[in-house]
Amino acid sequence: MTMYRLACSNSLSRRLMLGSLAALFALPMLVGNAKAASMDEIKKRGLIAATEDDFNPFEFVKDGKPTGFDNELIEDLRKYAPFEIKQQILPWTGILAGVSTGKYDVAITAAIITKERKQSLDFTSPIADATHYYVKRKDDKSISSVKDLNGKTVGVQAGSALLARLPELGAMLEKDGGKLGKIVEYTSYPEAYQDLALGRVDYVVNTVINLQTLVAEKPVFELGQPVSGKSFPAWAVAKGNTDLLGFLNGFIAKEKETGRFAELQKKWFGQAFPDLPVAFEPEF
Amino acid sequence: MTGGDIAAILQGAVVTVTLSLIGILIGLPIGLGLALVRWANVPVVARIVTLYVSMLRATPLVTLLLLLFFALPNIGIPIDPISAAILALVMNTSAFNCEVWRSALMNFPKDQFEAAQSVGMRAGQRFRRIVLPQIVRVSLPGLVNEMSLLIKVTPVLAVVGVVDITRAAVRIGAQTYEPLPPFLVAVALYAPIVFALVSLQRWIERRQVSAEAAA
Repeated sequence: MTMYRLACSNSLSRRLMLGSLAALFALPMLVGNAKAASMDEIKKRGLIAATEDDFNPFEFVKDGKPTGFDNELIEDLRKYAPFEIKQQILPWTGILAGVSTGKYDVAITAAIITKERKQSLDFTSPIADATHYYVKRKDDKSISSVKDLNGKTVGVQAGSALLARLPELGAMLEKDGGKLGKIVEYTSYPEAYQDLALGRVDYVVNTVINLQTLVAEKPVFELGQPVSGKSFPAWAVAKGNTDLLGFLNGFIAKEKETGRFAELQKKWFGQAFPDLPVAFEPEF
Repeated sequence: MTGGDIAAILQGAVVTVTLSLIGILIGLPIGLGLALVRWANVPVVARIVTLYVSMLRATPLVTLLLLLFFALPNIGIPIDPISAAILALVMNTSAFNCEVWRSALMNFPKDQFEAAQSVGMRAGQRFRRIVLPQIVRVSLPGLVNEMSLLIKVTPVLAVVGVVDITRAAVRIGAQTYEPLPPFLVAVALYAPIVFALVSLQRWIERRQVSAEAAA
């Protein structure tokens, strides 16, 4: 009964080790080879749409059922599309990666259009206006306008466009001789709001729509001012999937035409955005 | 929090318990198999097992899961969230189980094995009657430890869309902007699940003691 020890003393195990290492490094190449499904494939097997589960008011779950702006649009899409819509509900973390690797055909969520994301994804027509605002505790008298944010701790979602565009706020603050304070990143916004309420961060940056919903529900918070230039969220498909993009843009155009889009925006965001561009080229 | 919210968390509890049980029930024998391969020092295979165990023990579960979920479809293996979650759990826990089993095997007294050989027991018999009952007893605390860790690591499965206790609680917090009540319910659910597991361990241990006393 000889005991086995981890050792690379002979050439066999060394070769094995090297081979496995090579296999490990080859994996990312497989990921890079992802192919987006063509329209023909989608017609055959259905459209796989990924949505989020904790992004009130766009998509969230109430009493075990998905609801919100995007989920109501998916209901309409089911009637519009000549094929099946298969919905997958998962946290934000895996959504864009899933679309760019071809696991999902489209992310039906509020993905803010950014330059960086445009390298691996294509975006539909914007679904809302998502200019970034800050929100603070109502009883915090030290913040009354953007310049008061100098040096204060900010909470923002990790991997989000809001995080990527914080330098814009930094530039605004620098004009008045201030600077951006410590940045705390969260996996999703509910935790950031909780920390704001607890006083661990001084303000949170999110889109105007999310924050309006928040302050309507939780009066301990108060909506501040814009901290970014123009910003729009849209649905995302894999880069180069122009057929699917055209189909989805056709759907959005039809919803706008019938007035359904404005109706849903009013219902979920409290206001309609009649002047949304059909296509948006981000600066950031 | 409404009754529907509590029902949603309870549904999450069913998912947590089911996935954990499947992970444990598949991971346990695979771990034993891997440990035996290493113990018996099967040529080539033992080295592959060593490498497998070292690599999996070094890979965080969430990384492994994302890799399986996004990479497998690209080599032509479509995989749904639940299957990916189970596969990742089994791969992860079997590597740790292997080491627990192996530690028991390494400390197994050689003389007992030789005694069994000398009375003419065949390999299968030796393993079933002499080795297994004793290594189970020695490994049990370590294995149950690993199982309770596995139950508590299930929230990471949410990353591919599995709704366990914690994810159900997160969803409710996101809708009501009141994350604390659902989290309290979630914590209150994990405790009895792990307690049930530990009670099972105690029961098995007591039975073993009384069986020995009777012998």
